[in-house]
Amino acid sequence: MKDDSLAAKACAWFCERTGFDTVWTALFERHVPEAKGPVAWLYTLGSASLFVFIVQAVTGSLLAMNYVPSPDHAYDSVRFITDKVLCGSFIRGLHHFGASFMVVLVVLHMLRVYFMGAYKYPREATWMVGVALLLIVVGFGFTGYLLPWDQKAYWATMVGTNIAGQTPVVGGMVSKILKGGADMGAPTLTRFYALHVLVLPAIVLVLIAAHIFLVVWHGISEPPARAGKEPQGEPRE
Amino acid sequence: MSETPCPREAGPCGPELSRRGFLGAAAAGLGGVIAAVLGATGLSYFVSPAFKKEEEDWVDLGKAADVKGGSPVKVDFVARKRDAWAVTEKRSSAWVLAAEGGDYTVFDPRCTHLGCPFRWDQQKEQFLCPCHAGVFAKDGKVVSGPPPRPLDQFPVKVVDGRLLIQPNRKKGAA
Repeated sequence: MKDDSLAAKACAWFCERTGFDTVWTALFERHVPEAKGPVAWLYTLGSASLFVFIVQAVTGSLLAMNYVPSPDHAYDSVRFITDKVLCGSFIRGLHHFGASFMVVLVVLHMLRVYFMGAYKYPREATWMVGVALLLIVVGFGFTGYLLPWDQKAYWATMVGTNIAGQTPVVGGMVSKILKGGADMGAPTLTRFYALHVLVLPAIVLVLIAAHIFLVVWHGISEPPARAGKEPQGEPRE
Repeated sequence: MSETPCPREAGPCGPELSRRGFLGAAAAGLGGVIAAVLGATGLSYFVSPAFKKEEEDWVDLGKAADVKGGSPVKVDFVARKRDAWAVTEKRSSAWVLAAEGGDYTVFDPRCTHLGCPFRWDQQKEQFLCPCHAGVFAKDGKVVSGPPPRPLDQFPVKVVDGRLLIQPNRKKGAA
C-alpha cells in the first residue's frame, strides 16, 4: 500500500527516526484477553484511572496559577478561583470530584486485579508498583485536602497528623515532620503544597511509566476460569 | 486503518464500517468531546485575564452636602485596593472643592512637582506647596514655582447624595 499524501510522508519520516509506529502498535494494537459483558468492563478501570489522572494534572496546573499556599491568602485565592475566574468553579469542581473519583477507581482497579488473581506470577512487580501508586494517590488526597484552608481542611489535617503522631516511638517526630513544626500553620501549608504539586507528581509519573511498561510487557492476564470449566472466550491460536 | 476482511466477532457488516472501525470512531468521537470540553474550559480559564474588565474602585468620601461651597476641604479616607485575592488598605486624602450647581472637583493631595502634600491658604485663596514653593490657584492651575502641570484630579461622581471618587485614577487619563 502506497500513500503519497503529505501526512503519510510526515508520519513515515517521524516513525523512521523515532520508532513510534512500534510504540503505537505495542500500546494500542496489542492483544488483550477476550472477555464479554460486565467482565470486559472491569478491564477498563486501569485506563480510567490514567485518564482521571490526566484530568487532575491539567486542572491542577490551572488551579496552581491562582492559588497561594499561605495562610493569609489560601482561602481567599480559592474563593477567587471559584467566584471570579472564568470557568474557575468548573475547573475546581473537576479537580475536587476527580480526586474522590480517582481513589474510587484505583481501589476498584486493585479489587479487580485481586479477585481475578492477576497479580500472580509473572506479574508481581506490576502489583507492587500498583500498590505504591495506590499509596501515592492517597498521599495526593491527604495533601490536597488541606489546600483550600477552610475549617474542614484544617481540622481534617489536624486529625491526620495527630493519627501519625500516635505511632509508637517515632510518632512525635513524624507528626512534626508532616506539619513542618510543632503546630499546624504556614509551614504545614507550604509543605503540603510542595508535596502535592512537586514531589508526588514527580514520583507518580515515574511509577505510572513503570506500571504501564510492565502491563504492556507482560500482556493482560486472562479472566480466571471457573473450576471445571474452560476459560471464558475462545482459545487463541 | 486499512480495510481488512470482516472481523470474526462482527455481525453483518459492509466494507464501509467494521466493528473495529466503529469502535475506533466512537472512541475518537467521545474522546474528542471530552477533550473539547476540558480544552475549552481550561483555555477560557487560562486566557480569561485578557478579557477581564477592570474593576472600578470607587471610594465613598461621605455626604456630598457636607462639602460646602467656597473653599476646598481636605477629606481623609481609606482606599481599599483589590489585587485579585489580596486586598490592601491605604490611608489617603483628597482636596474637595464644591462649585456652584452641585459640581465637585477633587484634587490629588500631592503636588505635581515632586509629590509633596500641599495645603490651602485661606487668606491668599491658593494651594501652597511647602517643599519648593509651588503655588496653585483654586482651580488647580499653576500660579508660580516649579510644578510642571496643574493639580491632578480624581474622577468624581455623586450617587444617592454620596460623594464617590476613584483615587487610583487620574481624571482625563484612560
